Amino acid sequence: MHAFTVPDELNAQTPAEQVHDRRDQVRLMAIDQHHSITHSRFQELDEFLSPGDLLVLNNSRTIPPVLQASQGNQSIEIRLSRKRSDDQWEALVACDFFSLDTPLTFNDGVEAVAIGHGSEHPLIVLEFSIGGSALLDFIYSHGEPVRYEYIEEPFPLETYQTVYGSVPGSVEMASAGRAFSWQLLQKLKQQGVKTAFIQLHAGLSYYEKDRWPSPEQHPEAFAVPEETARLIEETRRAGNRVIAVGTTVVRALESAVNPHGEVESAEGTTNLYVDEGYTISAVDGLLTGFHEPEASHLHMLTAFLPKKKLMNAYREALLQGYLWHEFGDMNLILK
Amino acid sequence: MNKKTAVITGASQGLGKALALAFAKEGYALGICARGEERLKDARREVEQLGAEVAAVQADVTDSKDVERFISIVEDRFGRIDVLINNASTFGPGPTLLADYPAEEFRDVIETNIMNPFLVTKRVLPGMLTRGDGSIINVSSEVGKYGVAEWGAYSVSKFGVEGLSAIWADELEGTGVRINTVDPGEMDTVMHDIALPDCDYELAQPEDVTGVFLHLAASDDNGERYEAQTFDVKGASV
Repeated sequence: MHAFTVPDELNAQTPAEQVHDRRDQVRLMAIDQHHSITHSRFQELDEFLSPGDLLVLNNSRTIPPVLQASQGNQSIEIRLSRKRSDDQWEALVACDFFSLDTPLTFNDGVEAVAIGHGSEHPLIVLEFSIGGSALLDFIYSHGEPVRYEYIEEPFPLETYQTVYGSVPGSVEMASAGRAFSWQLLQKLKQQGVKTAFIQLHAGLSYYEKDRWPSPEQHPEAFAVPEETARLIEETRRAGNRVIAVGTTVVRALESAVNPHGEVESAEGTTNLYVDEGYTISAVDGLLTGFHEPEASHLHMLTAFLPKKKLMNAYREALLQGYLWHEFGDMNLILK
Repeated sequence: MNKKTAVITGASQGLGKALALAFAKEGYALGICARGEERLKDARREVEQLGAEVAAVQADVTDSKDVERFISIVEDRFGRIDVLINNASTFGPGPTLLADYPAEEFRDVIETNIMNPFLVTKRVLPGMLTRGDGSIINVSSEVGKYGVAEWGAYSVSKFGVEGLSAIWADELEGTGVRINTVDPGEMDTVMHDIALPDCDYELAQPEDVTGVFLHLAASDDNGERYEAQTFDVKGASV
């Protein structure tokens, strides 16, 4: 859909705090409601926000979903994508040949059987021989974070967390909030910018071999607390802006809009697909990273600004050397 | 999910276990951990017998991976953590002059006793800060305030814990999250036997000193230091 190529040198390979000591030392490209672009630093985010504006953040915490299993003599990598119940997960089997009929064997004597297809190909549903806290304990003991090929170092799980993540469940980091430090959040608070939280447990964003999730078939668990819904409505009544930190927040909040166009508290799973034809009603802006051309996250951005303008902005970002992906630079888009 | 949750490290014996039982009696759900699995299982059974829900996780809280696993399991099970008591610590060798103290053991004690409250607090804080509420209690010692011969690296580490509490209390001011320090005083525990093997006077029992912890769990105090054995339930620390 979007034709551009991210050169290798613009793949962020190292977290900012390992390069500059602080996670908030990344760049910020801001696009205002008139589509005019400003190049800035993320630490100067306060210059683009006003007292009374509300930042909505996803406080889902990343779990380590990559597990090693075996079937007979064969080693098989399993990537968990979405929890379905106490002992069932949708998962990607990152391997060409494996049998759906034979149990997968993991460490500690844990087993899993495939009991059906997942929400979309190639996901399958695995039922584990243990469940609840014991299964989570097992996942933490043996799992690794998802590391895509542009990351050369095996960074630990804590590298894939936001500072405020506190509800375990995402298999990939809700990365738009990664650059926030508590110090920056404190600075924004002192300026009168408010914060609120939702949870959306992000599933896998890539199925390997050029296969990408399609949002309509990619349900994700989410919750919008009452306090957050109240703050959003208060903010809008006061004429201030609601800024979603990340596409996961847009997805959750738009899923919680009632027929009167108001955000209300909600909990469940969402299949919502936000793209060019979708009218955003819950938020006035989006803070996000830079996305790959194939990613559905990028399609979501066209609900915030026309595709042509978005592509112009992305061209500019490439020229200016902004960094892509989860450790990369930030992009603020105001409607 | 409305039930309050307390997390206690090093909860399989001594003060940690007494605290787990005291908080269970007060209706808290509990997240407890210890390095030794057998003793932890026993503690879990005793807590459950009081009718409390408990997530008991075998974990070494000086290891950030174990801390992540432990706290995430508790958050997943109970949805929130209201109270954290950083109780786990190690004494190192018994009475030893600093001049005789083996350097490796010194390093181990300092790392264990200072890193663990840092790591666990850092991991628990996001949930507390996003809710704007929470109470963290660091267990210190009289020798965290006064230098006493032969208390070695343990004493030095507790001076560090007191500093950690003081700095964090200042940084958390106004957030709704409180951090305080408790000196439980001398108690009849395995650790005390190691510190003072020839002790010939009567000692308090761990269950006698839990009142101040229950008080701090619910109070607005921040940056305070309480001595458990002179604590008055009416709120005064002598």
